Amino acid sequence: MSQSNVITITTEWKKPRPSIDHDNAEFWAGLKEHKFLVWKCKTCGTSYWPKAYCQNHDNEPFASNMDWVEAKGTGKIYAFNIHHTAFNPGFKEELPYYYALIELDEGPLVSSTLIGDRRPKNIYDIGQKVEVVYEDHPNEGFTIPKFRIID
Amino acid sequence: MPKHPSSGKYAIVGLGVVAGAQPDRSERMIAAEAARLAIEDAGLTRKDITGAVDLRRSGGGGDRASYSDAFTRVLGLNNNYYYINGRGGALAGLGMATAMSFIDRGISDYVCLMGAVTDWSQAQESKKKGYRGMAHSEKRGYWGKFVGDSVAVSHHSWMAARHMAVYGTTSEQLGAIAVSQRQWANLNPEAKMYGRPMTIEDHQNSPLLAEPYHILDMSLVSDGAVAFILTTAERAKDLKSKAVYVLGQGFGEVSSTVWWDKKNFTHMAVEPAKKQAFGQAGIELKDIDCAQFYDCFTAEVLFQIEDYGFCKKGEGGAFVAAGNMAPGGTIPINTSGGLLSCYHLGDLTGLAESVRQVRGQAGQRQIKDCEIVMTTGHGGELVSPGMCSIHTCTILGSQP
Repeated sequence: MSQSNVITITTEWKKPRPSIDHDNAEFWAGLKEHKFLVWKCKTCGTSYWPKAYCQNHDNEPFASNMDWVEAKGTGKIYAFNIHHTAFNPGFKEELPYYYALIELDEGPLVSSTLIGDRRPKNIYDIGQKVEVVYEDHPNEGFTIPKFRIID
Repeated sequence: MPKHPSSGKYAIVGLGVVAGAQPDRSERMIAAEAARLAIEDAGLTRKDITGAVDLRRSGGGGDRASYSDAFTRVLGLNNNYYYINGRGGALAGLGMATAMSFIDRGISDYVCLMGAVTDWSQAQESKKKGYRGMAHSEKRGYWGKFVGDSVAVSHHSWMAARHMAVYGTTSEQLGAIAVSQRQWANLNPEAKMYGRPMTIEDHQNSPLLAEPYHILDMSLVSDGAVAFILTTAERAKDLKSKAVYVLGQGFGEVSSTVWWDKKNFTHMAVEPAKKQAFGQAGIELKDIDCAQFYDCFTAEVLFQIEDYGFCKKGEGGAFVAAGNMAPGGTIPINTSGGLLSCYHLGDLTGLAESVRQVRGQAGQRQIKDCEIVMTTGHGGELVSPGMCSIHTCTILGSQP
């Protein structure tokens, strides 16, 4: 990686906080260690995000045939929009922001905002390769994954 | 195609609509009023109503009609049961399917189904705190709010964006949907946008909220209520109003397959719903005289036009730009103005219009010889990273 994939922010958080529960606590813990985890089937190898039972075959109780494993943290832009309005006032200073659906190399779609110097030219300009950037908020106790175009 | 035994066995016999901003009224009062109007329209009395369904938006839209009392108590109905039914904007379709079971087993002769919202009035309150749109209805517990995910606006603009990127659809073509519906709204004095014509240029010049979506791609935030009375076709014969028969119903879920193969962003779960509803009714697409498609955003209409087969997949943009869904077009769609230009009461907006079209009560916008109408609904909890779950399809007709 040519640039650091970690950003540390210490200013006060004025936006909605992540909703961390039984199903995604491990995922959020992984982000703090700068790992992007996906929920993978030990039987057939298919990856999911968020947590789900494997769709390809019968499962063990509570999907114990699945586990969180580290993904490559890379993918492609599947679609994106550009928010010109802050529906929540906490995002006013970021406008306009690019909110993208990312198709991870492992298959699942995840969403987050695009950061860095490069942006798609227009709505039709998709498929760019991206990598995850970990935005650490040490005062808040969480890390948020964002994505940066790398190709 | 032979009809299913259930087709035409039940009918809508009364309709009550409370439309327009209601800043000085509670949800329970507009709910009770819509129910009162529906009962009166059917020529029934409150003691005839032995079952009641409150059509509330659970899931993605939140419990936005979470008022404290039941409209049945406020109005004084004679109901033996009352329950809450609905998922996102899929309200009438689900409510009817469950209510028919109570009628079928002789538990109720007449069921009153009602949905009410005061979204517009509530949005005026959250605006004072710096929020826009539907902040009052947002649910906790899904991905993305911390990076500015704005719920339906974010997710549906991805769908439009993906369709544009895959099929070359343009913003002007999406604008043609909004303009077509505005033309219909201008034939409907009950529509919020009645008397406010709109052009493609107006659409293109309107503010970009979540690109590719302009504000004129988005549905209205409304107050209001719609209620209707459901009974058997047999009982409907003796009532004063013209019966509107339930010919078929179908349901599909993107969570079953579409989600995992990512078609969610260019398709709706139309295929199973169409097969069930059209199969029960014994009809084909060409039998549809007009369609009321769930239209929380413009591209959702486009997806349904394609997925039901009014044109090929990916060709919906050219289809709507040629005026096919507008007044005078080949398939009239959202003839009240829909959620985009009339009012937003989930699929109850479309249901009310379907009943009026079949009864011949649609005034200037009446479709000639309107015998068979379809109404669709949508909605559901927001599964990360952005998903609209259910698709419902209800076929209504003038003959059993």
